[in-house]
Amino acid sequence: MAILELTKVKKSFGTGHKQVDALKETNFSADPGELIAVIGPSGSGKSTFLTIAGGLQTPTSGGILINNQNLSDLNEKQRSKVRLKEIGFILQASNLIPFLSVDNQMKLLDNVKKDNMTSAELEVLYDNLGIKDLRKKYPADLSGGERQRVAIAKALYSKPSILLADEPTASLDSEKAYEVMELLKKETKQNQTTTIVVTHDTRLIEYCDKVYEMTDGQLRLKETS
Amino acid sequence: MFLAWNEMKKNKLRFTLIMGVLMLVSYLVFFLSGLATGLASLNREAVDKWDATAIVLTEESDKSLPQSSLTTDELDSIEGKELAILGQLNLIATNGDAKQNISLFGINKEEFIMPQVTEGESFAKDNEVIASDTLKDDGFKLGDELELSSTDEKLTIVGFTESARFNAAPVLYGELTTFQKVKFGDGAAENEAQINGIVVQGDDLTSITSSNENLEVIAVETFIENLPGYTEQSLTLNFMIYFLFGISSVIVAIFLYVLTVQKISMFGVMKAQGISNGYLSRSVIAQTFLLAFIGVVVGFVLTLISGAFLPSAVPVSFDIPTMIIYGVILIIVAILGAVFSVLTIVKIDPLKAIGG
Repeated sequence: MAILELTKVKKSFGTGHKQVDALKETNFSADPGELIAVIGPSGSGKSTFLTIAGGLQTPTSGGILINNQNLSDLNEKQRSKVRLKEIGFILQASNLIPFLSVDNQMKLLDNVKKDNMTSAELEVLYDNLGIKDLRKKYPADLSGGERQRVAIAKALYSKPSILLADEPTASLDSEKAYEVMELLKKETKQNQTTTIVVTHDTRLIEYCDKVYEMTDGQLRLKETS
Repeated sequence: MFLAWNEMKKNKLRFTLIMGVLMLVSYLVFFLSGLATGLASLNREAVDKWDATAIVLTEESDKSLPQSSLTTDELDSIEGKELAILGQLNLIATNGDAKQNISLFGINKEEFIMPQVTEGESFAKDNEVIASDTLKDDGFKLGDELELSSTDEKLTIVGFTESARFNAAPVLYGELTTFQKVKFGDGAAENEAQINGIVVQGDDLTSITSSNENLEVIAVETFIENLPGYTEQSLTLNFMIYFLFGISSVIVAIFLYVLTVQKISMFGVMKAQGISNGYLSRSVIAQTFLLAFIGVVVGFVLTLISGAFLPSAVPVSFDIPTMIIYGVILIIVAILGAVFSVLTIVKIDPLKAIGG
């Protein structure tokens, strides 16, 4: 059963002849354990798609179902709760709090949400991501790759059903970028998370189960060999 | 509290500076409150010792004790539980070495306004007086013979009572006849019934009445408020304190607002992750509370330490309950100052903050 479903979703800005369709009518669904890439050039509407799928902005029309909850029926406070419970974000610039150590980044989530990973599960996650020795360090003490791995750990710590990653490898060299994609794939399969990676880097698509291409706001499934 | 405390631990210098500013503001508030209390005590100490409900003065005196002139015969026209006659005169007294403005109270030692003698003995005859022990700091001692301005009469200090000042002058207590000799000189015998006022104890103000329409029953607090300069002085200092409350609120508002604006993208990311406005707002409020609480407590301790080293000539008297109330008000206004930051956080659009 699809964990994320977008039905006839459309996002337009402006009206009349000034209207711009940032996202043309889109149907999309993703199942648990799927790693999906959305590729396309800058300004094609990838981020609009991702933020709509993550409940950060409302579509002009259409419906979004996350784990059977229709986001269109919810107010901002309720959508915020859904994001906390169901979605993990990995952003282009890492989403870490500068004054919290790696361990405290996770503890922050314990303050706002129950049912996060247990200490044993977190140990395994740290181990998988190779950040076990970084737990007392602050974001400023970490390299770009380490920060991104910690950001992945943070996104996964709350056991989200959906992981949304916006250009997660943008600030990394090729080797580190492949490393991060390998990790995302491993965690996706292991935790049966649905992971959607928005990227313009076509080299990363080999790690994904499905690839969508966004062109001028139009999302199309791309055939992969 | 988790976010607030961790941020403060990580950015010690930044938050120590904010706390330092709050500490200085609270130090100033506490000091001014000490000064207000001290200056008020200078005016009212002796009156507070009466533990009286009202004072009866002539209506034409406009609530001024020295301007009121009545006779002991008026005691019969006044209804009250306890009555005490009072003559009062401002003088300059010298023991040869030291010179001081004093206020001479002529009283009946059997009546309730007779002060407690803490050193020496009570006056037993004319021209013997009990003095406020604050005069000791000015060089006066037991047995001193005091020469007075505008009269040849001399007074002898036979005892001291604990700190008793009226309208900023230390009080000398003597028999009414002593007061009359000093005030009227050779004419004392003809003016033996002359006094300035009658101090009254009663269950409440309404239970005290006078059948003489030329006399006015004045609540003790009203009487104090009408002492020359008292209200003006209190209002000035209190206004300074109230302004400081406003200033501390604005300081906190500015500091926290700047800090919040610097963290907009961080708050945006947290909101995108689903962390609620309520949690983030509580965190800012908790941080403000911690900053204000620590600043106020340090300010409080520093004030008391400074107070211990001040010379006795500085009229500072720290009233701990008042200081605690002011401390609590400072913390509350600081938290009110944080409201701007809370509103800013609520308005942050996570989409814009993360660059979507």
